[in-house]
Amino acid sequence: MTTTVCGRCKSSGAVTDHQGRQDGAVVWTILRCPTCNFSWRDSEPARAIDPAVRSADFAVDAGDLQRYPKILQQ
Amino acid sequence: MNDLPNRARSISSLRDFLELLEDAGQAITWSDAVMPEPGVRNIAVAASRDANGAPAIVFDNITGYPGKRLAVGVHGSWDNIALLLGRPKGTTIRELFFEIAGRWGDQEAQISYVPEAQAPVHECRLEQDINLYDILPVYRINEYDGGFYIGKASVASRDPLDPDNFGKQNVGIYRLQIQGPDSFTLMTIPSHDMGRQIMAAEREGVPLKIAVMLGNHPGLAVFAATPIGYEESEYSYASAMMGAPIRLTKSGNGIDILADSEIVIEAELQLGERELEGPFGEFPGSYSGVRKAPIFKVTAVSHRRDPIFENIYIGRGWTEHDTLIGLHTSAPIYAQLRQSFPEVTAVNALYQHGLTGIISVKNRMAGFAKTVALRALSTPHGVMYLKNLIMVDADVDPFDLNQVMWALSTRTRADDIIVLPNMPAVPIDPSAVIPGKGHRLIIDATSYLPPDPVGEAHLVTPPTGDEIDALSKRIREMQLGALS
Ligand SMILES: [Zn+2]
Repeated sequence: MTTTVCGRCKSSGAVTDHQGRQDGAVVWTILRCPTCNFSWRDSEPARAIDPAVRSADFAVDAGDLQRYPKILQQ
Repeated sequence: MNDLPNRARSISSLRDFLELLEDAGQAITWSDAVMPEPGVRNIAVAASRDANGAPAIVFDNITGYPGKRLAVGVHGSWDNIALLLGRPKGTTIRELFFEIAGRWGDQEAQISYVPEAQAPVHECRLEQDINLYDILPVYRINEYDGGFYIGKASVASRDPLDPDNFGKQNVGIYRLQIQGPDSFTLMTIPSHDMGRQIMAAEREGVPLKIAVMLGNHPGLAVFAATPIGYEESEYSYASAMMGAPIRLTKSGNGIDILADSEIVIEAELQLGERELEGPFGEFPGSYSGVRKAPIFKVTAVSHRRDPIFENIYIGRGWTEHDTLIGLHTSAPIYAQLRQSFPEVTAVNALYQHGLTGIISVKNRMAGFAKTVALRALSTPHGVMYLKNLIMVDADVDPFDLNQVMWALSTRTRADDIIVLPNMPAVPIDPSAVIPGKGHRLIIDATSYLPPDPVGEAHLVTPPTGDEIDALSKRIREMQLGALS
């Protein structure tokens, strides 16, 4: 089942970037979170993409995106 | 498989090399249906366990990517590296090291140009409605990567401030995170050529166009991955080191690219823009952080018919990354040390890009190995990477860890260990005190010389040298022959 809630930052509103087909049928969908840029395939194991079981160590705080450093500053 | 050196010199593309590997039993095709996650990762990691003999794996039946091909592990074993260098399977790491170290200045670069219309890389061309996901059978390399990564891209660019200078063209290996159908972020640091070029383009407000080459001549990834002088073209260098011609052509956006690559993605830097990128499972075996990285917009894609997307597994070692860059990380340190200290006999910096290095040296005087270690820390690679150094005697093969452990066990005194606190460190080293700063360790495991008290024990000197090497190979052949 395709969910549009991001497994990493729990924001909603993911966009569909691509669908994989096999013999004409859609077998998976690649989604992308416009808030934290996490991309995933809906066929991946739950521990990587399901916010309910995904490790909190790899969560992104959608309310504090300022904390992430910007590389190559002048 | 006669005349391996000539066969290696005649390689001009990934396809040629895969054919050579297949003939030598070093490439297999995985035709069972496999899910992109976690199937591809599992197979790539399982293959990595055999650092000596793992084959390249070509997938041609990935679910959801009908008709598409993916290659992993092309540089994933010492046997594959040996074949690339024109040496037989079973060549020792030490022999491969001296094969590379002996090639400096040996050959002239042979660069030729192919008109764009005749270049295989331009057989198929897309200039609009580009969707990278439709072209590349991507998959999540490590399970908590922030997205789908292109892990083995050779990125070519011209110096944005000196675009007509061939020598200032840069080719480097970078990793890219796909950010929607026609964009990607590129991770680099200010000291890398690409980082310098991005900062220069943004400072001056001039465009920076790049060409991302995928599925390349296998020599390029080996020889373009190591920092050499900024003025030296990586193409010329790779050609000279391979002792073989390299065919170039122009990308649609005017950059010199390999004419026989599988895929080239042309893109332009979005000046001043940064997008969230990462994490990515890196070579120390830990994830990088989430960063705001420069973003590129894809302007066109060229590819061969039925292209092969080549990717790499990077993560906790041992992985293809280690066999890909290990020897060519070690050889420059060796050459630089030998300029000051001809007593240095070999350098093994295979482990995690040299975070641990083992150097064999003939002691000129008591404590001399420590002096050599300090010099190693000041080589270009040593400044950031050589964190743990183990110094062994010249009669210890630094590529044979059993011998290195013997030296540690029998020749090390606890007060022969030096810790240098608060030194520069690779930012992605997970043991750093803070990213970019950490401690260095030197273990002197060489023997004592007067005026050190030498003690009463005399070393056993077992037979060594070419004769014993040949006997060892003959025993192995007799053993294999008994099976057939
Ligand atoms: Zn998100």
